[in-house]
Amino acid sequence: MSSSSRQARIRRYRRLMAGSVLAGTLGFISAESVGYPVVGVALYWAGFAGFLAVWQGTSVPLFDERDRALERRAIALAATVFTLGMILLWPTMVVLSEIDVYTPPPAFDGALLAIAVQSGLFALTYGWLRYR
Amino acid sequence: MKNSVRERREERGLSQADLADAVDVSRQTINAIERERYDPSLELAFKLAAHFDCRVETLFDPTLDTN
Repeated sequence: MSSSSRQARIRRYRRLMAGSVLAGTLGFISAESVGYPVVGVALYWAGFAGFLAVWQGTSVPLFDERDRALERRAIALAATVFTLGMILLWPTMVVLSEIDVYTPPPAFDGALLAIAVQSGLFALTYGWLRYR
Repeated sequence: MKNSVRERREERGLSQADLADAVDVSRQTINAIERERYDPSLELAFKLAAHFDCRVETLFDPTLDTN
C-alpha cells in the first residue's frame, strides 16, 4: 500500500467514525422528535457501535501518540477551565441568591454535582495510578 | 525541540507521508515534529533514528532548543 493511500485510508476511516456518531445522534434526535424514543436510542447506540467497529476493525492505526497527547492536553485544559470557573462562580451565586438578586438555574446545581463527582473520580484515579 | 528530521527526510527523497508510514504515525505528526511543534516520545524518536540510521542525539538536539 502506498503512503498516500494509507494516509487517505486513515482520513476516510476517521471521517467514517465521526459520521457514524453524527448519524446516530441525528437519528436519535429525529426519531425522538417524531415520537419513537426507543428507535432513537437504538439508532444512537448503532452510531456508537459503528464508531467502535471502524476504530477497532481497521488494520491501520487511526490515532497516534500525538493525537493522544493532544487529547490529554485538551481534556486537562477543558476540565481545568470548567472546574475553575465553577469554583469561582459558586460563592458568587450563593451570595446573589441570598440577597435575592439572581437565582441560578437548577442546571447550576447539576454542574456543581458534576464537578464534585469528577473531583472524586479524579482523586481515586490519581491515587490508583500513583500507588499501584 | 530542534531536529534534523526534515533535512534527513529530504536527503532521502521521502515525503512526509512516506516517513509517517515507515514509523507508524500520521503525516501531521511528522509535520509537527519538523516544525518543532511536537516533541516525539522516546519510542518514536528511536524509531526515527533507526530509520535514518543515526543516533537519537544527532537527530534531536535539545541544546539548540530556543523554546
